[in-house]
Amino acid sequence: MGLVDKGLSLRNRGRLLVGVFEDEDHVMAATKALRSKGTDILDIYTPYPIHGLEVALGVKRSNLSVVAFLCGMTGFSLVILMIWYMYVHDWPMLIGNKPVRFTPSWVPILFEGTVLCTAFGMGIIFFLRNRMLHGIQPELLDDRQTDDRMVIVVEADNNVDEATMLQTMKEAGAVELRERIGGVQTVL
Amino acid sequence: MIHDSIIRDVLVTGNKTPSDVTKDISRPILNKPSTAWKIGFTLSLVFLGIFALSLFNTLWVGIGVWNINKSVMWGWDITNFVWWVGIGHAGTLISAILLLFRQKWRMSINRSAEAMTIFAVICAAMFPVFHMGRVWVGYWALPLPNAFGSLWVNFNSPLLWDVFAISTYFSVSLLFWYIGLIPDIATIRDKVKTKGQKFWYNFFSMGWTGSVRSWARYELVSLILAGLSTPLVLSVHTIVSTDFATSVIPGWHTTIFPPYFVAGAIFSGFGMVATLLLVARKVMNYENYITIGHLDAMTKIIMLTGSLVGIAYLTELFIAWYSGVEYEQYAFMNRATGPYWWAYWSMMSCNVLAPQVFWFKWCRTTPWFVFIMSIIVNVGMWFERFVIIVTSLHRDYLPSSWVMYKGSLTEVGLFLGTFGIFFTCFFLFAKFLPVINMSEIKSILKNRE
Repeated sequence: MGLVDKGLSLRNRGRLLVGVFEDEDHVMAATKALRSKGTDILDIYTPYPIHGLEVALGVKRSNLSVVAFLCGMTGFSLVILMIWYMYVHDWPMLIGNKPVRFTPSWVPILFEGTVLCTAFGMGIIFFLRNRMLHGIQPELLDDRQTDDRMVIVVEADNNVDEATMLQTMKEAGAVELRERIGGVQTVL
Repeated sequence: MIHDSIIRDVLVTGNKTPSDVTKDISRPILNKPSTAWKIGFTLSLVFLGIFALSLFNTLWVGIGVWNINKSVMWGWDITNFVWWVGIGHAGTLISAILLLFRQKWRMSINRSAEAMTIFAVICAAMFPVFHMGRVWVGYWALPLPNAFGSLWVNFNSPLLWDVFAISTYFSVSLLFWYIGLIPDIATIRDKVKTKGQKFWYNFFSMGWTGSVRSWARYELVSLILAGLSTPLVLSVHTIVSTDFATSVIPGWHTTIFPPYFVAGAIFSGFGMVATLLLVARKVMNYENYITIGHLDAMTKIIMLTGSLVGIAYLTELFIAWYSGVEYEQYAFMNRATGPYWWAYWSMMSCNVLAPQVFWFKWCRTTPWFVFIMSIIVNVGMWFERFVIIVTSLHRDYLPSSWVMYKGSLTEVGLFLGTFGIFFTCFFLFAKFLPVINMSEIKSILKNRE
């Protein structure tokens, strides 16, 4: 498994079937119906987060919380190392003859450094994993998929035959069915 | 099984569909700027000009153009710094703490509140930075080796903690805000017509398509960032308060400062959120999104935090008396009855007494009244910082050093000028980015539990 989620790309795919929906309940119903028939759904695009859809699709919980923890630990260690090096090792600063070692006065900077590394470490991994980069061209299936339409996309070469998949989406409330070959879409 | 909520009122009124939301909220971005926007923006630029002039005077002549003096070494500048940082806190409270508490009403106000946080922190940073006097050596505040030997920064100093806290707060808030903006920038990207607009919205949308897997990660990242921002925001004003509390100045050397400052920060921040949103809702016709229910919820928080601040004031007085420390007792007596009594009583009436009107429903749900109250709250909170800083400093331990302080024209100009920075940023934000989080609003249209 690479760092970037390759499943997000639509490039180099064969023939795809696209179902367009206008209601979140219909998408949910279609997803459940398709999955119960054994279909592998390639992806679903929605303009807003629909809770439970990722569960219905069978997406595993992301490991980003583990990433965040590791980044936090790294940040914590780096800041300890920084303060120790500057303040204890390289040039001990004697103020009021107070001890030059770990004191509670280190805590604020340790905390801030940990938070900074956690947030940005996780943020960067999030962008990478999601295949997000400034200026990258999005692969859109419908020009309203970021507005009010939801799109289910399945590979035509699937565990279930095409007609059943299309029929299932139609029954669940798809407003439009299309096929996509090499980036070109035709309404079915 | 999903049910429509029977307990809660709808969060968005007017029976909006997702496409209505997109239309309503992207209207100011897709259309030419309105007259109200042009007037507001021009006015902000005027204030920005005042800032530039005052700053020029400060840098050209030197820090001496401020009236800060031998014992009052912090005046308007640090008052303004604490005031602006405090205002920023409400943004994080709304976007992070209310997210953890699953308060869905936050969704139509979090975007602009977070923007407010970022702009307020920019304004705040101006003051300590230019207070340095020789701002061109400002990088000495960073953990870099001194050019004359290997002397490093002092990790025991709350001022250094501030450098770390404010910069972390700013950058993490910016990241949180930006990640939240991406899906909406993508929505705008798919609506704009001109080539330039297409390029920039495409650039900043980072190729967002709205894949369900991206959404799952996005939601997880938002939750973790909220979890991080919550202690972060509490730490920032705690650290700002330790700038005072770790000193040996009577009236500053108190352990109540951290919670008291945090409560005050949220109080003033909500005041500013209310001010901004009441104008935005009227000018941009967002009455269906920022409803009376929002005002009701926000004013309740204002009342709660105002009362917390009131308890803190009374505790300070009690502890000063109870401690038996002469200096401490004098400091508080002097606040209330000394030459700056007017500042103290302005603070008391604006922060403690005024918000008590929010016990009444009419007061919480009448927009023009809430607007006036929100201004009063912010005036009161400015006075609070002024009282803490100036009254404690103008009476030194040595009576021969006693002085009076009043801000110079340049100091006043810098303060007014930060409004220029703040509102210029805010108007640009309102023109180029969606003021309300479209994707989150779309997800609550069905008002489900």
